[in-house]
Amino acid sequence: MLVAIVIVAALPWLITTPYWRGILVLCAMNVLLALSLNLVMGYTGQLNLGQSAFFGIGAYVSTILIKTYGWNFWLAALVAVAAAGLVGVALAAFAVRLRGHYLAIASLGFAVITYQVLLNWESVTEGVRGIYGILPPVSNTVGLFYLVAGIAFVIYALLDNLVRSPVGDTLRAIREDEISAASLGVNSAVWKAFAFGLGAAIAGLAGVFYPGFVGTLVPDAFGIIESFTMMAMVIVGGMGTMIGPVIGAIVLTFLPELLRGFGELRLMIYGLALTLVVLFMPGGMVQAWIALKNRLA
Amino acid sequence: MTALLRAERLNKSFGGVRAVQNVSIAVPEGSIFAIIGPNGAGKSTLLNLLSGVYQPDSGSLFFKETHVIGLRAHERVRLGLARTFQKIRLFKQLTLLENVLAGFHIHQDLPLWKCFLPAGVGRFHDEAHELLAFVGLDARARDRAGALPYGQQRMLEIARALATRPKLFMLDEPAAGLNAAEVDFLLKRLENINKRSVTVVVIEHNMDLVMNVAQRVFVMDHGVPLFEGTPREVQANPQVIAAYLGGEFAA
Repeated sequence: MLVAIVIVAALPWLITTPYWRGILVLCAMNVLLALSLNLVMGYTGQLNLGQSAFFGIGAYVSTILIKTYGWNFWLAALVAVAAAGLVGVALAAFAVRLRGHYLAIASLGFAVITYQVLLNWESVTEGVRGIYGILPPVSNTVGLFYLVAGIAFVIYALLDNLVRSPVGDTLRAIREDEISAASLGVNSAVWKAFAFGLGAAIAGLAGVFYPGFVGTLVPDAFGIIESFTMMAMVIVGGMGTMIGPVIGAIVLTFLPELLRGFGELRLMIYGLALTLVVLFMPGGMVQAWIALKNRLA
Repeated sequence: MTALLRAERLNKSFGGVRAVQNVSIAVPEGSIFAIIGPNGAGKSTLLNLLSGVYQPDSGSLFFKETHVIGLRAHERVRLGLARTFQKIRLFKQLTLLENVLAGFHIHQDLPLWKCFLPAGVGRFHDEAHELLAFVGLDARARDRAGALPYGQQRMLEIARALATRPKLFMLDEPAAGLNAAEVDFLLKRLENINKRSVTVVVIEHNMDLVMNVAQRVFVMDHGVPLFEGTPREVQANPQVIAAYLGGEFAA
């Protein structure tokens, strides 16, 4: 952990171009998003494709409160995170009897509906016209990177403690076998709502920093493809481990950027790489690393 | 003896199949109570009704003086009912220790916010190890549950259910698939659990086990009650012999 903090703190000195510093900020946000989805998917075993919507709710609620109502950034952030979390709990309550593919479709539907609301509720969200001139909470890119990365570290530490606690045992029990968990007195509906709500709040927190970073806010940033990207980060890194999704987020943020030299072929190579990882490392990069270490030992 | 669990005229149908018809049982507190019957007799359905996995179409069910119909499975656990499954349902990707620790769920009193802070081993760590030792598995506490041989998986499921600290412990065919030595071990553990003032309900095919440990035996066939009595009475009852035991136990 300490090593990671030192490396992250040194990154802006190693990477000096404004473009790549921007990618660093994006990477820190993606780490937050991957952590949020991993709690729901990796630890609680719920196939959730609605995470992009919570990301969007965090972004839009905070921006509208700041731009339209003149709120202070941090107060708006707090309300936006709470809003995303509550919508997450509501979605879980609504989908309480659904599991596996059915939950995936319901949460996907939720993501599509949220996207359509952002697109068509023009009096509030400005729709495709977008909201312009959004200022970040700190004015320079390096400062913003330190802020978001710092938050990612704190969230990582909190979640790492959580999954080792009795709550972690309960969430994993639900993931493994709900009927069995019920036979031990676990009310899985309540704990699923907890995981969904907390995951949604963290995704909302990532969303709070996005508009200021980009400067503009349009619904397209929160389409369902974002949900699939987050899922790819979690799976490629190794779901159900704490460090896996972090690695997945880093790799899948930088890989498309590094492939820019290939022009049109970029997305094909990216897709091929994803397919190969899932085919040959079904447990993600973390499991592959452990297996490799065991073989060499 | 007073009845710890009392079912009155329970009925449950699936489509046109009447799996349990007018079943009434009274499980005496502190006893080992066996439910036997041929395949398809409705034993597992009855246990699912008792544990709350299913709700009956009609009938009543009392645990002590509490009417438990309508209470779901996880709510009945808090009253003191625990169970195992005919088809073993472990958390296979988790370690043995994690499986048992999950069993302490209803006894956890750590405030939620404290779960986000660094902490040492939990309150139930030692007790979980004791339960693993009780079923002879403490040496494998850090192994994945799915890696255990079949017989040990059954014992782990028992340890996990005991972590809920039940007053009534119901086991669905615990001896199925066990070898003779394992059955012997299981039998001793059941008697030991019973001595700790836990009432035991056991659904079983293994007649040696039933005749050795049970004080009362309830026999059902085709969803209906056939006979209830002591093991000796069951062995002597012509109806039971005809329906189920065949020649094996006819003196």
